[in-house]
Amino acid sequence: MNWISIGIFAVIMALTLWVTAWSSGRTRTASEFYTGGKGLTAAQNGFALAGDWCSAAAFLGFTGLTALFGMDGAFYAVGPLLAFCTVLLLIAEPLRNTGTYTMGDVILYRMRQPSALWASAVGAIIINLAYMIPQMAGGGVLIKLLFGLRYDVSVVLVGIGMILYVAIGGMLATSWVQIIKAVLMLGAGLIILVLALAGVNFNPLTLFESAEAKAGAAFMLPGNLLKNPWDELSLGLAIMLGLAGLPHVMTRFYTVPDAKTARKSVIWVMFLAGSFFFCTTIFGMAAVHYLGPQALRVGNPGGNLTLPLLAEFLGGGKGTLGGQIMVGFVSAVAVATILAVVAGLTLATSGTIANDIYVNLIMKGKVEEKSQVMVARLSSIGIGIFAIVLGILAEGVNVAILVFLAIGIAASTNFPVVALSIFWRRFTTAGVIGGVALGLVSALYLVLIGPAGKFYAGPEGWWQIANPTIVSLPLGILGAILGSLLGTRDMENEKRFDEVMFRTQTGIKSDV
Amino acid sequence: MAEPVKMSADSNIPGAWIKGVESMEFKTLIATRTKFIYFMLFIFCVGFVGLSLLLSFQRSLMGLKVFGPLNLGFVLIIANYIMAWAIAIIYARVSERDHDPLIAAVIAQARKAGGKS
Repeated sequence: MNWISIGIFAVIMALTLWVTAWSSGRTRTASEFYTGGKGLTAAQNGFALAGDWCSAAAFLGFTGLTALFGMDGAFYAVGPLLAFCTVLLLIAEPLRNTGTYTMGDVILYRMRQPSALWASAVGAIIINLAYMIPQMAGGGVLIKLLFGLRYDVSVVLVGIGMILYVAIGGMLATSWVQIIKAVLMLGAGLIILVLALAGVNFNPLTLFESAEAKAGAAFMLPGNLLKNPWDELSLGLAIMLGLAGLPHVMTRFYTVPDAKTARKSVIWVMFLAGSFFFCTTIFGMAAVHYLGPQALRVGNPGGNLTLPLLAEFLGGGKGTLGGQIMVGFVSAVAVATILAVVAGLTLATSGTIANDIYVNLIMKGKVEEKSQVMVARLSSIGIGIFAIVLGILAEGVNVAILVFLAIGIAASTNFPVVALSIFWRRFTTAGVIGGVALGLVSALYLVLIGPAGKFYAGPEGWWQIANPTIVSLPLGILGAILGSLLGTRDMENEKRFDEVMFRTQTGIKSDV
Repeated sequence: MAEPVKMSADSNIPGAWIKGVESMEFKTLIATRTKFIYFMLFIFCVGFVGLSLLLSFQRSLMGLKVFGPLNLGFVLIIANYIMAWAIAIIYARVSERDHDPLIAAVIAQARKAGGKS
């Protein structure tokens, strides 16, 4: 047990719970619950986006992958920044202008057909849950390490934290939890960067040179982690388009007053998160330089302990006060990171269930404001409990596969469906269903029979790629196009496309 | 087909968007914006898909040392960071300078035409 990390973690928890209590008084209407009252500034939403998008896989994983696998780790890290180019150029402003609470709003606004919303809601729930389980499991493992608690108790604690944030404080508390986490994460990154560079006279090139000398020439080449070239390509594609299909990150654009602010918040996150991603490559090289490639592999097969190990070394080494403070800080920030991400996921899932399914589909929009908020709170508690159960069941299971699945499905179903809704006049409800069905089924099937899946046929099988996107994305688009062209032509819908385009571009009517 | 769903937060403002869509300002807005976004997307795709393809299929070429200890692969990865940040800045600048005034004009036009916004 590390008392310093427990102390730092206790301070973070106290701060986030205080923010939650403060937010609860400001969360009375459905709009306040889902969007925090649309009052965030561009900088605030930029920090919150960074908090939402950087999961533990980014905070701990990228450094570890770079330290263990060299260039492939650096490639892993740059993708999530580039993903925001897709969001900036195609999705952020139209989404802000068209929707109100969820990504499903965009589909419903365009199609006006319940079946289109059902399809998009099912896709969104599967993406969110697939993304959530690895986070819950990771949180369980981290708290188990940090406090010496049992795994299942740890998962329950993570779950209670996120349920409190979301059910009581809604989007406002969730946003501030994400902002606090982002500030801590960037602060930790900055301290590690300065300490790591101080040892080499602030010349990062020395770190690269030394890492190559210590780990060998192959370390600096691609293919150490992603041996199959098609896997590397498929991963690139999934990240490039998957972010724009992740409901929990995209709903963040509803928290700002207008499209202009949404745009500016993307610029903020690109510089905040992008700088952090860039630094993870330097951290990875620094870890090899300071600790040596052999020491890094001991008890650290996935690389997730690399950053704490590096922080400990830079703080003064094992057993020193400085080393303990650094490890404590990094571990506490890692738990905060997971809490912020699962809170965002819980909120987005509750939006889909309470707003899309209950209010818009079952009650046809005839729900009083008060009961809308009540349903939203209850559904976030329900989802929280469900996620706790799934997290406990996931103990010892290789859950990394689920991240592939979530981003693959997001890129192959949600992204094409939302993009086509915004930009294609001829797109119909049948197209939405076709796109979701084909993208979802093919991504699911390919992940399961792929090298990371349960039904992997071994190296002789016909399918050898862990990430499904390179096939499931074209299939998702094909499903959307064929569904639209083969189904009944919806003339009313096409006539209304002018209105859709006008609203997408100007935002008129977006806050009626 | 099932009965169309009416959204909870939906009200009609007849006329405003019809006039708006037909306005010269809106046509200019769509034309300039589409052209600009296609151009940025093209650069983005060339940069990132190019990087993915090279890392996937030209692995030994990526080891070519080009800048001190940095090989071509790392230089291209760093170039992708710079490209992403450049796209962000250019997009923000051009949107603010060229597109936002057009959007404001379109909205003003629609309001004048009788709808409320």
